[in-house]
Amino acid sequence: MTPTYYLVLSAALFCVGAVGVLIRRNAIVVFMSVELMLNAGNLALVTFARINGSLDGQIMAFFVMVVAAAEVVVGLAIIMSIFRTRRSASVDDSNLLKY
Amino acid sequence: MNPVLAADITLPHINYGAIAPILILLGMACVGVLAEAFLPRTLRYPVQVLVSLVAQVAGLATIIGLALSNYAKKPTLTAGDALAVDGPGLFLQGAVLVLGIVATLLIAERSVERGGAFVAQAAVTAGSEADAEQARRQPSQTEIFPLSLFALGGMMLFVSANDLLTMFVALEVFSLPLYLMCALARRRRLLSQEAAVKYFLLGAFSSAFFVYGIAMLYGFAGSVKFHDIAVAAISSGKSDLLMFIGLAMLAIGLLFKAAAVPFHVWTPDVYQGAPTPVTALMASCTKVAAFGGILRIFYVAFLDSRWDWRPVIGVIAVLTMVIGAILAVTQTDIKRLLAYSSIANAGYVLTGVLAMQKDGISSSLFYLVTYGFTVLAAFGLVTLVRDQDGEATHLSRWAGLGRKAPVLAGVFTFLMLSFAGIPLTSGFTGKFAVFSAALGGGQTTLVIFGVLSSVLLAFPYLRVVVLMYLQEPAADAPTVAVPGALTSAALAIGAIVTLLLGVWPSVLLDVANSAAQFVG
Amino acid sequence: MSIAPYVPIAGLLVLGALFALFSCTIAPLVGPKRFNKAKLEAYECGIEPAPVPAGRFPIRFYLTAMLFIVFDIEIIFLYPWAVSFDMLGTFGFVEMLLFIVTVFIAYAYVWRRGGLDWD
Repeated sequence: MTPTYYLVLSAALFCVGAVGVLIRRNAIVVFMSVELMLNAGNLALVTFARINGSLDGQIMAFFVMVVAAAEVVVGLAIIMSIFRTRRSASVDDSNLLKY
Repeated sequence: MNPVLAADITLPHINYGAIAPILILLGMACVGVLAEAFLPRTLRYPVQVLVSLVAQVAGLATIIGLALSNYAKKPTLTAGDALAVDGPGLFLQGAVLVLGIVATLLIAERSVERGGAFVAQAAVTAGSEADAEQARRQPSQTEIFPLSLFALGGMMLFVSANDLLTMFVALEVFSLPLYLMCALARRRRLLSQEAAVKYFLLGAFSSAFFVYGIAMLYGFAGSVKFHDIAVAAISSGKSDLLMFIGLAMLAIGLLFKAAAVPFHVWTPDVYQGAPTPVTALMASCTKVAAFGGILRIFYVAFLDSRWDWRPVIGVIAVLTMVIGAILAVTQTDIKRLLAYSSIANAGYVLTGVLAMQKDGISSSLFYLVTYGFTVLAAFGLVTLVRDQDGEATHLSRWAGLGRKAPVLAGVFTFLMLSFAGIPLTSGFTGKFAVFSAALGGGQTTLVIFGVLSSVLLAFPYLRVVVLMYLQEPAADAPTVAVPGALTSAALAIGAIVTLLLGVWPSVLLDVANSAAQFVG
Repeated sequence: MSIAPYVPIAGLLVLGALFALFSCTIAPLVGPKRFNKAKLEAYECGIEPAPVPAGRFPIRFYLTAMLFIVFDIEIIFLYPWAVSFDMLGTFGFVEMLLFIVTVFIAYAYVWRRGGLDWD
């Protein structure tokens, strides 16, 4: 069980999330992809905590989780408010702001 | 069993006096939330304005007290080395608060737009019957004040954070309220909500990069304290690759907040869609905070590896200055024009940062303050030019304003000249400071691009001036609202500081010089 | 016990799978393609089938869910504190009290603003 595998997994998850943000069109799905990226960060933190033999990384993962939860609440509130006006959560419909 | 689990815990020592400014801001924000919960509707506005201003003035007074009692000369680390109380930290905290007070004056204004610039109930569906009703009658909601206090407190925490975790938490503490504040415009609510969605999604995306960068640097250095990273950068046996991946990802998160190209795409949309007082807050305070973080990371944690990353950030600085200026030329909306100008200005600050020596720090600090005051006054003036749909921000609507409102046009012309960097304005002294620091640091190429970009950027500014004075006003030209006491005060402060720092820059430059020493 | 008696079964499974795969891939490739409207419709009589929307959850559900998430996740900090309570002592206790107070301030706001009313 080398910890390296977990790092590879976390990098893969991070890339999946990043690609999801870039190609998906539904604001909620985009947001889920961001959460995936944050959790990939958590996995990397915990793995490095194991490799370094210190607990700091695990504590940091706690903080990231809490911040991510706060972000979820703020983000969902904003997305809900625009969804109620538009009846759609597609980021392609957000096209009022240009030039 | 992991042996570290059994280790005993050393409790961190917290120097409450040294972090009092941050505690005051966040504590008063909690008071604001309680006031929002328990006070009757009519009392909320005066109480919130009072709480907000008292918190910021008290915080500022504490910062000045700390600076005078030698914290700038004998910097300390506190709360288990998580927070640094040093010259740049105190200067930046003070700058955030001074600019925050002026922005709060703009936010609290209720006579330019009847009831204030913010929506009464954000939960009412935009465009519905109830929405039209609340836009006509109800006064703004007052949650905006505790939200801005949380944002300002987060920024102060951000500029004095001495490890990456504290920095990340502070980043979110100031970003989350800003996302919400963007969505709260009274008029054109859909536009405002769109701006908030864009800002939120891209902001969350960039902070995910920030987190992954933290993880990489933790893996590299075994700690997230800046000092430990700096030590590991010299002596760590681990691959440098880990450090550079981590640094690149951190830089993405920070440069996004600073609105540097290529992480700038959100800026014009968000600046345009957000309520103008909130835009003013973002353009001034967020910029100070973001560059505070950038300065600390580059000068404390990565000073010794600067030969490796300086060219990359240099390219970003050039792109930011040039692309910001070119795109500003093509704009037809005053808020978007100011947004692109703020992107270009981020490039000028970055030029100062890249000097990588003491006057690089002091000139960047100085530039951030001068730019903050000028941009606050400019956005303050934008709130005054109105027609029946609210603010008239399209440039064609500004034609002939020089005849209808000579005072407004005069002040705006002065601010535009300052942005363009004409002598006797703070725009000139600020640019002079950062460019000469960059020359001293051997960054001649950056300075050449910087001067070219400011020449190019003068064109859109002067176009607005020409438009105001030399064109006939349209038949349905917008009216210029009479500013209330709060907006007048904000405009006067912004314009006077712009003039004062233009003719007598040493008053602030000396303070910045004596503050320019990071603890590390 | 020998595995030999089961080999033919496995072989048959493989053969079956191969046959299914073969038929599914070859049919669209070699068959003639002549489409018309009737062919594209579902092979059913009666009314046109249409997906029934599952119905939307009331907006209140999101509010409750969001409040739950944010208060729920705060508890995460209580666990490590509770585990090492002995070592953290008074300092940890006071800090945790301060933390709980801030959570209660948020709670008071939500409660007064009707975030907890179900209808």
